Amino acid sequence: MFRIVSRGRIKSPWIFHLNTGSCNGCDIEIVAAFTPRYDLERFGCLLVGSPRHADVLLVTGPVTRQMLPRLIRVYEQIPEPKVVVAVGTCASSGSPFLGSEMVEGPVDRIIPVDTYIVGCPPRPEAIASGIITAVMSKFR
Amino acid sequence: MNAAIALIISFPAVLLISLLFEGIDRKLHARMQKRIGPPVIQPFYDLIKLFNKGRVIPLTASVRVFEIMPMIAAAVSLLGASILLSGILFGLSMIGDLIVVMYLLAMSSIALMVGGSASGNPYSAIGFSRKMSMMIAYEVPMFIAVISVAFGSTPSLAIDRIIKFQANLGLPLAASRPSMSLAAAAFLLCMPAASSAIPFDIPEAKTEIIYGLLVEYCGPYLALAKIAKAASNFALTLLASIVFLYIPSLLWENAPLNSGISLSLCLTTALLIMFTTMTVPRTILARLKIGQALKFYWMVPLTLSLSSIILSAAGL
Repeated sequence: MFRIVSRGRIKSPWIFHLNTGSCNGCDIEIVAAFTPRYDLERFGCLLVGSPRHADVLLVTGPVTRQMLPRLIRVYEQIPEPKVVVAVGTCASSGSPFLGSEMVEGPVDRIIPVDTYIVGCPPRPEAIASGIITAVMSKFR
Repeated sequence: MNAAIALIISFPAVLLISLLFEGIDRKLHARMQKRIGPPVIQPFYDLIKLFNKGRVIPLTASVRVFEIMPMIAAAVSLLGASILLSGILFGLSMIGDLIVVMYLLAMSSIALMVGGSASGNPYSAIGFSRKMSMMIAYEVPMFIAVISVAFGSTPSLAIDRIIKFQANLGLPLAASRPSMSLAAAAFLLCMPAASSAIPFDIPEAKTEIIYGLLVEYCGPYLALAKIAKAASNFALTLLASIVFLYIPSLLWENAPLNSGISLSLCLTTALLIMFTTMTVPRTILARLKIGQALKFYWMVPLTLSLSSIILSAAGL
């Protein structure tokens, strides 16, 4: 019984995407991962518009001060069990913006992150592999 | 007693077949876009996952209505589909089950509307008003088409009698008379709106109002809403395939109603109808505005179904 449930969770990760002050590079690559060439939907992923439907939270960008309460709120609105994936170098380490007084990031200083996808921006293959790795390790 | 057993058997069958239909729809949609697409059993994975997720209920919602309505929607549309399926499988029928099925399908949409608007989310309110306009647009021609069929065939409101009429005639109803083919055309044109497939997915417009009515539903409630939608789509396609295009009537004189062959033929026809009226428009068209959809439905299908009534009254 438990195996069926975990298989269902692995096979249908629905994704909510949140931009916390990213330059849009990572966002475009996330959209590219859903195009026919890379086709994330073959793993059962769907890009959903509401955090209540989601299992995976994709966060891009170093967390700016304005986005901090919104990031926490969106994270709390996703029903359990959930996975957080930090996409891009900014979200993973805060890279060039680290230490700025406008930036509260990186993401793992605020919410628990399961997988980091580095790259500026990361390639769509890397995003797909990161999502699948996160889901496989968390829901197995 | 017999009827109860038939309904109990056909409930899981309806759930299975309608989810498979949804999976096939998603697979075909993906293949038409040159994607590999999700596996055919993807809806089962989705449902297993959704039933095992946590629940978040918004503070603004009126909790009872919000919780109960998806259950009513799922139960009602499963019941509608299983009345149709047990009609073919066991030859069961009752007086006026054509109207009962249409009513149950409309009721499942209305239950979802009420539940969604009880969530207190502004997007749900927009979805509610759009769904209301869409129902005014498509329900009227659809009901008129069904009434035209009911009075044009035997006349009867029992699906069983309509099927027997086609079997005796040796022709599907849509090919028998001009009035009936007009009614069939009107009914088939209403299908994409009734299933909210893409040119008419205005009430749930994913990229615009984030699924509208379903925006606050999560976990088990979303799963029930998905079941309701899948089952009512399946019921609509099956209704079109047995009332308008009963293919087994072409093969034998007085085709036997409750054989496996006629069931599988009906299901194949239903699948083809789903492909032409939901998958193809969903792939090749873009979303309309609510005014355009209303205008289209009151120009084309309403005219078709009204002229079908007039022709059928004239005896054609």
